[in-house]
Amino acid sequence: MTKYILKRLGQGLLTVFLTVSTVFILVRLAPGDPAVAYAGPLATTEELAKVREQFGLDLPLIQQYWIFLQQLFTGDLGTSYSFQAPAIQVVLERMPYTLTLATASILLTAVVAIPLGVWMSRRPDTKKEFGVNVLTIAGQSMPDFWTGIMLLTFFAVLIPIFPASGFATWSALVLPTVTIAILQIALISRMVRREMTTNFAAPYLTVARSRGVRNSLLTWRYAMGNSAIPVFTALGTRFAAMLNGVVVVEVVFAWPGVGSLIVRALETRDYPLIVATVLITALLAVGVQLIIDLAYPLLDPRIRLGKAATA
Amino acid sequence: MSLSDTATPSAGNPSGVPSGLPAEPPARKSSPSAVTKELIAKAGATRRRAGAKFKIRTGVICTLLVVVPIVLAAFLPLPDPNHQNLAQRLFPPLTEGHLFGTDQLGRDLLSRILHGGQISLTIGVLAVVVSGAIGIIFGAAAGYFGGKLDTVVSRLIEAQMSLPLLMMLLLVVALFGASIPVITFVIAIAQWPEVARLTRSMVLVEREKPYVSAARILGLHRVQILIQHVIPNVIKQATLVVLLLLAQAVLLESALAFLGAGPQRPFATWGRIISDGQDYLTTAWWLVTVPGLVIAVMVVGVNLLGDGLRDRPRRKKKEA
Repeated sequence: MTKYILKRLGQGLLTVFLTVSTVFILVRLAPGDPAVAYAGPLATTEELAKVREQFGLDLPLIQQYWIFLQQLFTGDLGTSYSFQAPAIQVVLERMPYTLTLATASILLTAVVAIPLGVWMSRRPDTKKEFGVNVLTIAGQSMPDFWTGIMLLTFFAVLIPIFPASGFATWSALVLPTVTIAILQIALISRMVRREMTTNFAAPYLTVARSRGVRNSLLTWRYAMGNSAIPVFTALGTRFAAMLNGVVVVEVVFAWPGVGSLIVRALETRDYPLIVATVLITALLAVGVQLIIDLAYPLLDPRIRLGKAATA
Repeated sequence: MSLSDTATPSAGNPSGVPSGLPAEPPARKSSPSAVTKELIAKAGATRRRAGAKFKIRTGVICTLLVVVPIVLAAFLPLPDPNHQNLAQRLFPPLTEGHLFGTDQLGRDLLSRILHGGQISLTIGVLAVVVSGAIGIIFGAAAGYFGGKLDTVVSRLIEAQMSLPLLMMLLLVVALFGASIPVITFVIAIAQWPEVARLTRSMVLVEREKPYVSAARILGLHRVQILIQHVIPNVIKQATLVVLLLLAQAVLLESALAFLGAGPQRPFATWGRIISDGQDYLTTAWWLVTVPGLVIAVMVVGVNLLGDGLRDRPRRKKKEA
């Protein structure tokens, strides 16, 4: 067990390291000069040189990378060019907002999508099910930024129930959460339906039914019990992906999270900030992934970690 | 559940039996029910077939509704998409000469959507072709040859799936410029794991089938078996996934464009048109609503089509 956790932790950290290194190199290989972005287009050559020296941009790439590695292990990624504050700190300040939005969205998704998927799986090939099925296709086909703007128009501009942007009150959480959840509900409910349908057709369920097990028990305990792992994995993976910043939705609603931060960091070519954002979000994503794996035995007692690592 | 059904006919007594089952209707023993399990299954299959047909038909209609005007945009009597006319700013839809109205610079919205759509669609189709090709080649090779190649490909797929996707795409586009080739490449790279994973799993099943051993005994080269015999058997399903990826590619491109990482020349694409229109939400609702609807109709069409087609072959297999 401990060995398994350590192994997974090692793999995760390696992924994070490779990701951050790739980003570090990509950023520097790309055309465009952060010194120009920082000092402005009117800066003289001397000013630019001074800025480059200040941020260590005049050094050879290998040397920059070496300094970066040292910074990485001391947890200090340098100062953000545009915020004039430690890059890590800037990202960490934004993290709670993204975390709040992601948690709210995934909860709403789970609460709606699981019953909806079960409902669909229990009446296959009926008109109602077909209608909902088509609705879920529509749900996953709408561009989320557009859904966001539409919700914003209706519920913040035309009928001002909710604030349009930012995060001043808790009611500001509603519209972005719903925007994200529409897409996720469509995807997850279809998945739940697929899993449940497979389990409903399985022989063990027929056996249980012939023994006279109640329908509700068949659904929620028998079929759901065996669908729990894939559904939980899907929800967890989506949650991890959201921690990387729900970029589009954050931009639409001017949500002060990591997603809107990375867009700004890219616009200003704020190297330390870009790397810090990627580092922290990748770490979080790997952490969530690990927690998902560790939770498997709780959901399914047949699974033992380390032995069925591929399950 | 059918225990009582089988028990009653064997009793053979018409009526008046002093058994403890007075509730048993006498008609039931002679003919339990005209509706058999097979009939129920058949009815389900019929309904499923009708559903699939409906999905395919609607999907084709929705897709064509958007794609045909886009393809014909050059031949339609439309104003130039970049022609500005400040005297005709913010005309609502259905104004004469401007079916979808005009934007804040007096440009014809319909023309902008159609010409932008050409770029969006080109990127989408190219990206899907590239990712489909990479995915099928790598997936098939990994599944068929196994060993180290499989390990490398599987790790790559895994690593990429755990990466923050949109963030990486934004990064690459922001750094290397929002040109059509860069965006196409980026979307293709984002999508190949999906195809590769599916192809790999299908090839894994396929390579154990007798015809592969037969071909091997005949002395065919492994590569030849893979290309001539295995891939043709999986390509149909793989292309189905590719169709669904096209919908995703269009959405991804529009999201990138919305965030300002879309191509600007020669025409602004859909996401960009929407993000431009955002500032005029209260005064000119159509600038955001209409292009979004166009994207949604097309993507719904493609998704319905893919879904309907996926439902179909399963049914055929059962009948055969």
